[in-house]
Amino acid sequence: MANFLFYAFAFFTVATAAGVVASKNAVNAAMCLLLSLVGVAGLFVALNAYLLAFLLLLVYAGAIVALFLFIVMLLDMKETESRGFGKLSLAAIILAAGLLVTGLSTLVARGHLDTGNPALTPALGTDIKLYSYQLFTTYLLPVQVMGFLLLIAMLGVIVLSKRWEGSDDVT
Amino acid sequence: MTSATLDHYVLISALLFAIGLFGVLLRRNTLVVFMCLELMLVASTLALVAFSRFNGTMDGNVFVFFILTVAAAEVAVGLAIIVALFRKRQTIQLNELNSLKN
Amino acid sequence: MTMLSHAIFVLILPLVSAAIIALFLRRSGGAAAAVSTLTAAAIAVISVILALHNERFTASTEWMRLGGLVISLGFKFDDLAALMLVIVGIVGLCVHVFSLGYMHDDPAKARYFGGLSIFMFSMLGIVFADNLFMMFIFWELVGFSSYVLINHWHEKQSASDASKKAFIANRVGDFGFLLGIVMCYWLNGTVSLTELAAKGEAHTLVFSTLIPLFLFCGAVGKSAQLPLHVWLPDAMEGPTPVSALIHAATMVAAGIYMLCRINVLMVPAALDVIMWTGTATALYAALCAITQSDIKKVLAYSTLSQLGFMVAAFGLGSLSSTHLHGTEAHTVVIAAGVGAAMFHLTTHAFFKALMFLGSGSVIHGCHHEQDIFKMGGLRTRMPLTFWTFTIGVAAIIGFPYLAGFFSKDAILYLAFEKNSAVFALLALTAVLTSLYMVRLWKLTFLGTPRSDHASHAHEGGLTLTLPLVFLAVLSLVAGYTAFYPNVFSGVFEHIPEAHGSDHTIIFITSLGVMAVGASIGYFFYKSTPTDTLADKVPGLFAALSAFRNAFDGAYGYYVAKIQQRFALFVNFFEQIFLAGLIVRGLAGFVGLCGLGARALHVGNLNAYVYWFLFGLVALWLFATGVL
Repeated sequence: MANFLFYAFAFFTVATAAGVVASKNAVNAAMCLLLSLVGVAGLFVALNAYLLAFLLLLVYAGAIVALFLFIVMLLDMKETESRGFGKLSLAAIILAAGLLVTGLSTLVARGHLDTGNPALTPALGTDIKLYSYQLFTTYLLPVQVMGFLLLIAMLGVIVLSKRWEGSDDVT
Repeated sequence: MTSATLDHYVLISALLFAIGLFGVLLRRNTLVVFMCLELMLVASTLALVAFSRFNGTMDGNVFVFFILTVAAAEVAVGLAIIVALFRKRQTIQLNELNSLKN
Repeated sequence: MTMLSHAIFVLILPLVSAAIIALFLRRSGGAAAAVSTLTAAAIAVISVILALHNERFTASTEWMRLGGLVISLGFKFDDLAALMLVIVGIVGLCVHVFSLGYMHDDPAKARYFGGLSIFMFSMLGIVFADNLFMMFIFWELVGFSSYVLINHWHEKQSASDASKKAFIANRVGDFGFLLGIVMCYWLNGTVSLTELAAKGEAHTLVFSTLIPLFLFCGAVGKSAQLPLHVWLPDAMEGPTPVSALIHAATMVAAGIYMLCRINVLMVPAALDVIMWTGTATALYAALCAITQSDIKKVLAYSTLSQLGFMVAAFGLGSLSSTHLHGTEAHTVVIAAGVGAAMFHLTTHAFFKALMFLGSGSVIHGCHHEQDIFKMGGLRTRMPLTFWTFTIGVAAIIGFPYLAGFFSKDAILYLAFEKNSAVFALLALTAVLTSLYMVRLWKLTFLGTPRSDHASHAHEGGLTLTLPLVFLAVLSLVAGYTAFYPNVFSGVFEHIPEAHGSDHTIIFITSLGVMAVGASIGYFFYKSTPTDTLADKVPGLFAALSAFRNAFDGAYGYYVAKIQQRFALFVNFFEQIFLAGLIVRGLAGFVGLCGLGARALHVGNLNAYVYWFLFGLVALWLFATGVL
């Protein structure tokens, strides 16, 4: 059963991710991103990282994608896609595709990442106390830096969205 | 069906990353480019958690916290820039945002 | 306190004084003068204590170690150092006290006293130095202090030119000095004087003619021997007390002191060169002094001449080594040169400082008039200066039983024993010495005043006259070795003393030369506003003046024609290669890189993503080992 769920979620994630790239409408793209995140959350659950799965849904899907949607709605653009690709674009796409195929095929054919039996290695992600222990001892400095980062980001957003006198803005 | 091993998770992560990269290369709408960027970040978190689970350590799991925070901050600031840009230039098509050229 | 700590204190004290003056007392000249003079007094007192205590020591500490080369700083306090220390201390104190009065109205008094303090520090460093590197360091410092002090009135172009000339001439000599030090280190593995002496005792010293000759170059520069003598007459641009201290008594004597210190490295060939250089300098300077009209210039040439005497005395100390047996006699004979040279250095320090300070008193009294043809009649107006100056003149011309008499006799005796040609030349120089000194004395003090300033001259204050009296007393008694306590026996036991018939010959010779020179000087020169020699025998006067200017002219020609052209030639290459190719080339290259990097910023966001992809590919290739 677990295996089946893994494959289901995996396929779902990849399919909706392709949808993000392919959809013409920006709102559609945002929706597909949301679904893709749900898929990844499912994969996290399969990896026994329950807290992280919820966090992903709350923060990423709940806040970030919502923010994206706000901005998409705010900017309200017309659809001006479908203009074909330039030569350089095409070359880059082919190169990236080639890399992808090579990488994936190598991975599938020869990749055997050496790990122990997953049934025997303890699933540490289930215990919330371990998260907090690590965060407050080994990773204390990054936590403080993150706090600082968020402060600066907030200040940055406020400064960036200010309207200055004499600016000829549309909205 | 064979059970999911580390290889499978890494494969999924690589696929997601590649799809995100394609999106960044191909799309011309800045917002969609941004979304694909987030996709790439998610792919890296997936890889981290997978490694952490199969090696029996906590480090990968904890790192996801930081990635999440950084992604949030980055999205906030990035979107603020995009909005400010739109106010100025009335467009967010990438090929029209080229005033730094020459 | 131990004697070593006394010595360290004496050395460091003037440095501290100079630092205090430089940092805090720049504007308060009076306070600077007080600090400096008190320092000089302390140095004088402690020097005497150190000398009388009769404890001789050496001590050293390692300062720098560069691979196998060790540069250490240390004290070598033997009888020679003690004697020099007392001279420097006493003359230094007299000059400081004199400067209190002489420089009283000078606006830059603080700078002057700071320079004096730095000079005391540097000179004491040379006196105490126990190895040649340390001596070289302080040698350069003394040159620097001399530069600062000559340049005291730097608004005058002639003063700045003179200070530069002094420094450059010294530098040329120092180059030779440094070569000598390096060579000594290379051949002997050490530059420490104690170790060299020990090697000399053990007969393991490596001798080479070049080492003492190169080291002598330093003395040629510092003690102003031919051909690097050109700076000393020009150095009279500095204030008179500076001339007294530095350019008469102590700094120029440092060359002699250094020669005595490297006694152990001497070889007969080098000593011959030294002897002839000294003799030539003595005679040349005496000939130049006859035509001078500036009171300080006469004294400067007189100093040059006396320095020549000292150097010749040192050089004479070897000539009989060839026919005495073995190296033991060799060393004894060399030491005789040390004794005579140091004895004359001591007496010369006292009477020359006296005469310079006396001339300072005269200049001060005549309101900064230095031309002797505008003086005259000062005997009645400045009696104390007159009598002390007379004692100084008598000492230098070798008046019997005064200081100069004994020291000059010692040198003449040495010359008489060793080399008749040198003896004849030195005797001739002694005649000329008496001639020009009596000329100076007569024109300055006797007769009637020849200018307004002279007729209104007056004696200076106590600070100007006390040092004169003190130095006059010393000039009277310094010739009697019995006057000195036994502490200087290491030096004075080597003074050659004539006995028997030799004694009579020398006595008569010195009396004779003195009498001949003095009478010519007294009776030939009239107290006229112009030089009597120029009036009566203009050809001779012109010849002597040309002789004097020959060296300056030669150097001027060399610098202007040869050196300048070479410098321009080298400059051309420097502009092309160094400034153009390397400096601007490097800057241009960096600029090009910047331009290249700038070209990447196209403004198109997609382009940046493509670069990102390119980086990814590179990383990929690197990871798979292709790259």
